[in-house]
Amino acid sequence: METATAKKKEKKDHRQLILEGFVSHVLEHGKEPASIFKFAKDLKIKEEEVYNYFTSFEAVKSAIWVALFEETQRQLEEQEVYKEYSVREKFLAFLYTWIEELKKNRSYLLCLYQEKSSTFKTLPKDSRDFKEKFSDFASELVMEGKETQEIASRPFISEKYDEALWMQVGFVFRYWLDDRSPRFEKTDAAIEKSVNLAFDLMGKSALDSFLDFAKFLYQHK
Amino acid sequence: MSKQVKEQGSIPVSKVQRAAKFISTGAKVGGNYVKHYAKKMVNPSMNKDELHQNNASDIYNSLSELKGSALKVAQMMSMDKNLLPRAYQDKFTMAQYSAPPLSYPLVVKTFQKYFQQTPEQLFDTFTRSAVNAASIGQVHQATKGGKTLAIKIQYPGIADSVSSDLRLVRPFALRLLNMNEKELDHYMGEVEERLLEETDYNLEIARSREISEACAHIPNIRFPKYYDALSSEQIITMDWIEGKHIKEWMDTQPSQAARNQVGQALWDFYHHQVHNLNQVHADPHPGNFIIQEDGTLGIIDFGCVKVIPKDFYTGYFSLIKKDLLINEAELNQIFYDLEFISNKDTEVEKAYFSSVFSEMIALLGTPFHVEKFDFSDNDFFNQIFQLGDRIANDKMFRKSNQARGSRHGLYVNRTYFGIYNLLNQLHAEVVTTKPAWLT
Repeated sequence: METATAKKKEKKDHRQLILEGFVSHVLEHGKEPASIFKFAKDLKIKEEEVYNYFTSFEAVKSAIWVALFEETQRQLEEQEVYKEYSVREKFLAFLYTWIEELKKNRSYLLCLYQEKSSTFKTLPKDSRDFKEKFSDFASELVMEGKETQEIASRPFISEKYDEALWMQVGFVFRYWLDDRSPRFEKTDAAIEKSVNLAFDLMGKSALDSFLDFAKFLYQHK
Repeated sequence: MSKQVKEQGSIPVSKVQRAAKFISTGAKVGGNYVKHYAKKMVNPSMNKDELHQNNASDIYNSLSELKGSALKVAQMMSMDKNLLPRAYQDKFTMAQYSAPPLSYPLVVKTFQKYFQQTPEQLFDTFTRSAVNAASIGQVHQATKGGKTLAIKIQYPGIADSVSSDLRLVRPFALRLLNMNEKELDHYMGEVEERLLEETDYNLEIARSREISEACAHIPNIRFPKYYDALSSEQIITMDWIEGKHIKEWMDTQPSQAARNQVGQALWDFYHHQVHNLNQVHADPHPGNFIIQEDGTLGIIDFGCVKVIPKDFYTGYFSLIKKDLLINEAELNQIFYDLEFISNKDTEVEKAYFSSVFSEMIALLGTPFHVEKFDFSDNDFFNQIFQLGDRIANDKMFRKSNQARGSRHGLYVNRTYFGIYNLLNQLHAEVVTTKPAWLT
């Protein structure tokens, strides 16, 4: 029993060790390690030990994205006031907290993603797992928003809302990478304004009434 | 200015970002005061009204896309030079819009950025939504240890946007005010300086303290206390001043004595600043004054303070000397010093502008020419407007494409215009004190 927990603990540490080792390698060398073999050697663990957790650097990077996301969520849940937020505010709070988390790892992210940032339409590929988790979070938000009438249900379109929120996350990330303003104030403004726009668009608007009216005229002329 | 343009341009901005910025311009600076200056003034009837109205609409439509500091500039220049007739001014009152409030998560984030704590952790209570809009941010109310506090929070990235906003307005201002670029920059530099200062909250606290201490002896006024430990570059924490704004207070039908008391306090406050401190709270718009239950005047918001240079001060205020208006040579010299007329003017222009400015000064200085002045006198304000309109419609004035008046005059004029306006709203009769060297 005792050995089992000890072993488990050791395992967990290995995972953490690999993640941290990867980040510090990128920070110090400005690029990914040359190979898993070399990487494992530097960490003084066996190569196959690495494969127990991650089969490629892609997977490592992916895990780092997920870790950032989970930390963000943990912090959000710690805030008492978060539960009372409207959906719009929840999403804003998510982005603000997330950007704070990113800030702690800015150098790492810049090393890996800055050059490619302009070519990416959304977030980099190795954020796929993050995207999955985010989509769950976003769908929950959208569902809650529909319940509270903050978000209008529209056929076909409203199913894509979580996708739209994801694109917004990508936008904020890219904006932040290029942001040179002190304390990233411009990113804050960009978040505020883009989220307000997104939610205004998703909310019930004049367009809905217009479509409804047009439909009526078409059907009853 | 053009140098700054280049420096700013070095920041890489993608198309999307630029577009977003353009949209956001409107959100940045509250143009609230436009309303306050033009409103409450008496409506002079004008024959060209309709024409101006249409023009104003067009200009407004282009300007409304820029809003913020853009409108502030247009409005200030119009006030200073009286170039824009009433219809334009009225249209600009539409600039009164509410900047989209900071969302609560952004407020929380701002607090965390500076204090590593949320507002709930820092204060006993904290209002989730803003209770008031400030010119470049918003005000929340909080309590801590039995004290009620006002917390002013600035919109992120405002300071950066000031210069670019002003650049956006330049082409409009050029056409609107019929000035050449150099002349315009002469004023724009001044406006930019003040606006940038307004975004510096640390400076604001320092100045608030300095001026409130220097004015502490003046009867019937009150300043909030400022709390450094709870303030930062983007946040100011100060005492909450309970009371009513002038308009609401007037609705309670205060007695003439009470109104005079408030008016006198206001006058004394400005008198002391201008003549003894040589720096002045240059933002006398009604939102910055709160009348308390006991009839004392609370003064807040020292974001816009104009330091008055000595030589400008001497020239400017010797103009209010009543008998000076007779002495032409001396007067012309002052006009030169204050840049109302210059060597570039022809003799005809010189004569014309001297006479126009003499007339204006005689009128604007009226309150100083008597012991006591009754500001409820609407005729006085009517005369000012009529003169303004007459000058604006005069060919001579329109043809001249020179900036007239020292840049320092921009904010000093605005301050006095604001005070007159407030006193008019108060229907107050005040003892118009003058500095010793003028009597």
